[in-house]
Amino acid sequence: MRPTTRAMTLDDIEDVMAIERVSFPVPWSEGQFRDELRRQGEGRRWMVAEKDGVLVGFGGVAIFGDEAHVMDLAVLPAHRGRGIGRDLLLTLMRQAVAGGATRLTLEVRPANSAARALYASVGFVEAGLRPGYYSDTGEDALILWTPELDASALDAVAAADAAQDLVLAIETSCDESAAAVMRGGTELLSSVVASQVDFHARFGGVVPEIASRKHTEAIVAVVDEALVEAGIGLGDLTSLAVTHGPGLIGALVVGVAYAKGLALATGLPLVGVNHLEGHIFANKLADPGLEPPLIALVVSGGHTALVHVPEWGVYHTLGQTLDDAAGEAFDKVAKLLGLGYPGGPAISRLALEGDPAAIAFPRAMMRSGNYDFSLSGLKTAVITYVEAEKRAGREISNPDLAASFQAAVIDVQVAKAVRAAEEHGVKAFCLAGGVAANAALREGLRDAMSERGIRFSVPGFDLCTDNAAMIAAAAHFRLRRGSFLGLDAEAVAGLRL
Amino acid sequence: MTLTLHTSSEHATERLGTRLAALLRVGDVVALSGDLGAGKTHFVKGVAAGLGVPEPVTSPTFNILLVHMGRLPLYHFDLYRLEHAEQLEDIDFWGTLESDGVSFIEWGDRFPEALPQDRMEIVIHREDVDTRRLEINPSGPRSSQLAVDWVAACGGPEVSA
Repeated sequence: MRPTTRAMTLDDIEDVMAIERVSFPVPWSEGQFRDELRRQGEGRRWMVAEKDGVLVGFGGVAIFGDEAHVMDLAVLPAHRGRGIGRDLLLTLMRQAVAGGATRLTLEVRPANSAARALYASVGFVEAGLRPGYYSDTGEDALILWTPELDASALDAVAAADAAQDLVLAIETSCDESAAAVMRGGTELLSSVVASQVDFHARFGGVVPEIASRKHTEAIVAVVDEALVEAGIGLGDLTSLAVTHGPGLIGALVVGVAYAKGLALATGLPLVGVNHLEGHIFANKLADPGLEPPLIALVVSGGHTALVHVPEWGVYHTLGQTLDDAAGEAFDKVAKLLGLGYPGGPAISRLALEGDPAAIAFPRAMMRSGNYDFSLSGLKTAVITYVEAEKRAGREISNPDLAASFQAAVIDVQVAKAVRAAEEHGVKAFCLAGGVAANAALREGLRDAMSERGIRFSVPGFDLCTDNAAMIAAAAHFRLRRGSFLGLDAEAVAGLRL
Repeated sequence: MTLTLHTSSEHATERLGTRLAALLRVGDVVALSGDLGAGKTHFVKGVAAGLGVPEPVTSPTFNILLVHMGRLPLYHFDLYRLEHAEQLEDIDFWGTLESDGVSFIEWGDRFPEALPQDRMEIVIHREDVDTRRLEINPSGPRSSQLAVDWVAACGGPEVSA
């Protein structure tokens, strides 16, 4: 049974003291607990957690005006690591906010990594040191603070913990205006993208392009449509989420401004999601069993990056393109061959009929020893080849050229992906972003990973391109970490992962 | 006035950009044009290096504008994906040009009417696999001064009428 929490009473002191003594080198005394409990409900909130009738943990906060201090928090050793401390802490935080506090603070020993991880998971951040705070060892204490909290934010975190969060996510980082509603981080209730055919028909063929104006025209209808399809109203939501970067600044600001406006009007907390993180989470939607540690390759019109994900919410960019993104290289080569836009699908179709070994294009950075990519040289090599063939009066085989170009791109991506997976010893790999729709890249990576016993995930085509479902999925995990975006936050074109 | 510079490698093109960087002042606008693969982004990589930008300068084709912080802010535009000049307003094009940095605009020839009066236009011509000819056309007093100083710093002018 899930543990329950209730207010501490004098009758609990014996059990509480037992946990206190095994948890801390300098435990509080019984007298101190009695003093505290005398002020229970008047500036103090002491809670206990019970499991199957046994008191397994406790904690307390002191409220001083709009600030609250976490006084103590401990869990019986045999019951640690099961979320009881987190449940208690979230309960204390909600009690403190109900009692008028807007921020919480506490001290923790720098060496207590388990406690620090717990505090970080609900949004505490380091704000300073209290030198020589601990009398037994003379250790400094780390001072942690939460950002400004409100009751709806804590309710949203609790809902996410129980997989009952209902999130409306908004994505306008580039050409698409999109909105989605999701429950519990996995159950997709609606996902609307403003370039979808049915949507076009209804709204008179508006194709959102890079213009902010087009996003501005589409955003209200897209959000309304997402709510209608999900069969819910704004009042049913537990939180809002928005892509706040990276991307096109003029496009990002529309989504961020609209989401902030909704947050202000409804009082719902707002979660900010990194667009690339969203692409990675599209894999979690497509393959719910996918778990970190993993390596993700995010390839799209604007991004080419290899990312190590040791756990959800933690991202280490191992390498990225030094010049052109993969999708951009496809588009530009397609234009050179007169294949039209978007270039990716046109080239991969043509490549099916060509010989990938026909032309030996360079594999840039293949043996660079790092994880960065360079695609500008390949683009120039294609141009040079076309010019030389024309000058020599030879006919160019577009299928051979497309197949050879595509192979040059994919060979490098697969080689670096394999090396990253092996070097970091991960058992899972995922491919994300618009270029993940490229069948040859999917198959190349799938074969390479399966040969090595590495689980390979790639989303369906609709989740590869920009959408808000993936933003909602990422927001669920951000909610569980208590990570919110303030209403003063702005869109960041170059937001790092 | 048209000035000309020649380069014989990608690195030489970057070095021309680095030389130009040393002469730049707040408000300078440089419009770059030339076919795919001419080396527009490489040229700006050189400018960024000269301005002391620490991170790699990547193609702004997708994002339209990438901002890099060096000795001066470097606003790196790419108008390749734009279809109408009015879209420039959406990315605060003119506001950015008049702000606190220097602006380099790839595919600047797409909307010549949108460029400020006094700007330096550079057309990069692909002569061969490695060699490039830079045709430099300043259009006002500041850009003319910049062009002359830059070409002199690169080893002297080769002026044609």
